[in-house]
Amino acid sequence: MFTTHNITSRLFERQIRTPPPGTSIHRARRFYENIVPATTIYEVECPDNSFRKFTEDGKYLISFSRNHQDLIVYRPTWLSFSCKHEDCDNQDLPPKAKKFESFFTQLYSVPLASANELICKDFFLYAESNQFGLFATSTAQIYDAPATGGAIQGVPSIEKITFHLLRLEDGVVLDERVFCNDYINLAHSMGVFLFDDLLAIVSLRYQRIHILQIRDSGSLVDLRAIGEFCREDDELFLNSSAQASTYIYTSDKTFLVISSADKRAPQHMPANNAANGSHLEQQPAQENPFLSGIKQRLLSFIVRGIQNEEKDETMRIQSLKKKFYFHFQDYVDLIIWKVQFLDRHHLLIKFGSVDGAVSRNADNHPAFFAVYNMESTEIIAFYQMSSDELYLLFEQFCDHFHVPSKSSPYMNFISSHSNNIHALEQLRSSKNKATSFPLFIKKVLVSLPFNCQFIYKCYIICLQLISAADRHRQSTDHPIKFILRRPPHTLKFKIKPGPEAGITDCRTKRISSFLFHPILPLALSVQQTLFLQPAVVNIHFRR
Amino acid sequence: MGSWDVGIWPSFDPHNFSQLRPNDPSAPSKKTPITYHPTHDRTLPPPDQVISSEAKNILLRQFYQRGDEKLRPKRAAPENLSPEQECKHPRASFASSSEPPK
Repeated sequence: MFTTHNITSRLFERQIRTPPPGTSIHRARRFYENIVPATTIYEVECPDNSFRKFTEDGKYLISFSRNHQDLIVYRPTWLSFSCKHEDCDNQDLPPKAKKFESFFTQLYSVPLASANELICKDFFLYAESNQFGLFATSTAQIYDAPATGGAIQGVPSIEKITFHLLRLEDGVVLDERVFCNDYINLAHSMGVFLFDDLLAIVSLRYQRIHILQIRDSGSLVDLRAIGEFCREDDELFLNSSAQASTYIYTSDKTFLVISSADKRAPQHMPANNAANGSHLEQQPAQENPFLSGIKQRLLSFIVRGIQNEEKDETMRIQSLKKKFYFHFQDYVDLIIWKVQFLDRHHLLIKFGSVDGAVSRNADNHPAFFAVYNMESTEIIAFYQMSSDELYLLFEQFCDHFHVPSKSSPYMNFISSHSNNIHALEQLRSSKNKATSFPLFIKKVLVSLPFNCQFIYKCYIICLQLISAADRHRQSTDHPIKFILRRPPHTLKFKIKPGPEAGITDCRTKRISSFLFHPILPLALSVQQTLFLQPAVVNIHFRR
Repeated sequence: MGSWDVGIWPSFDPHNFSQLRPNDPSAPSKKTPITYHPTHDRTLPPPDQVISSEAKNILLRQFYQRGDEKLRPKRAAPENLSPEQECKHPRASFASSSEPPK
């Protein structure tokens, strides 16, 4: 059975024949092999903004002003001009068509950041159902911030982080959420995860996961803050029982409370307690001798798991000593790195050490994964980074880690090694070739928990060959070729960033970034040098 | 089906469909189709059965299952995996419990 590549015969086929069951979407997408952005308009005169992203439904182009204080949103449109000559296809484009404004209409420009704040240019989350966009502005980072008020030592602090929720249709700021003296990993939206209308924000400094809901009206509603306290009324309960035990302390000074060697407590401990490691006398009411709620859940899950492995009592104690108490301080020192939703009630949390959280290359630091149920406040599972059990689950159910949102069914059509036997074969063959299985598992699981909206939904990219469209690449003088993935592997089109004549000055480094429209055959390539010169923008489209 | 007057449609052999009597529209057919009555009750559902869809997706079900295994007190028999689970996923030959850092 030969599939034709000619667009006319494909259209006729579509008229006559119904596609094989379940493949109608695939057949529709194959039309993108014929409608390619092959024409380039070089060095388009455009406003000097930094263009970031097309939204997933293709309705908006998000860009920020050069000073990172304003948000400018464009609507992608298309050329409209009429041609009076007979042979229109071979005519050159009229000069009016070669302008940025023919392809993009500016909708609005909204100042988001005030005087000392900057918009985080890597952060943008899109709630497709309501057409809301989430942006973040922050002040400068302070690296050696003192660990006050329950903060973790070693994590930098940002004086003010503001999340802005905007309705993208008209640029109205619907709601804001401010975090003061906190640290949230905003680069590539790593510290924030959006799932339908639920937002999870990880505060690294205070070790809390804030769960918010985006209402249809546009307001951000706090649902819970997991970390120190797991249930909504934990704080009330602990405060009231702390008051009760203070009363007991004043009457009986030998009252003992078992707590951990809490790093936050030392400066305020009375002098006679300094000698004791694990047994401390009752602290005054404002000190919290307990570990944070989620840490307690985690440690108790680990202990129960180890206890259950052995039937014999002495073996059990041995096992606990070796596997738990020996590493107790390491477990206590774990902090939350990253979080993603697995469904509306479950979170996948990555734990690691403080050093790994702030370093750029976290691969060398040990990490652990835990599944947490927000409703029952229980830890369901706990795995270390190179756990083969977790790897097996990832191999079989990878799609369920990319949490499918109700509003965008496109995840059904992205092939991964859980739904495509060829991808699975590839993964298995690289597994067999790997010299060390734990290292291989580490490599595969390093992307967990996934970044939100990381998979860029673009039909052209799915069909053709491209690498890392979202990231910036150092550009050479050669155009990038797009080749059909299927046989025959013909060259479909080329995209050449930079000026038409090429680059004469080879010494300065250039960075190219590409923005592909998810639906229309339209792409922007932006090439800039590092010296803040205006960028060279090319528009690639199908004529 | 009974109202299709197949007998008067053109066909290759005029004797085809000659046995079919067209339905008389004034007197509707009294034939009722034969229904099947089961001769045993082995396939009856239990009287209190309620069929509903599982709220947790399959990945979470796996996590819960493995967590329950770990936390359930072990019986004397070494094979405490249920046979259904045995054939469902091929376990790796490596030890599969979560281990502390070395």
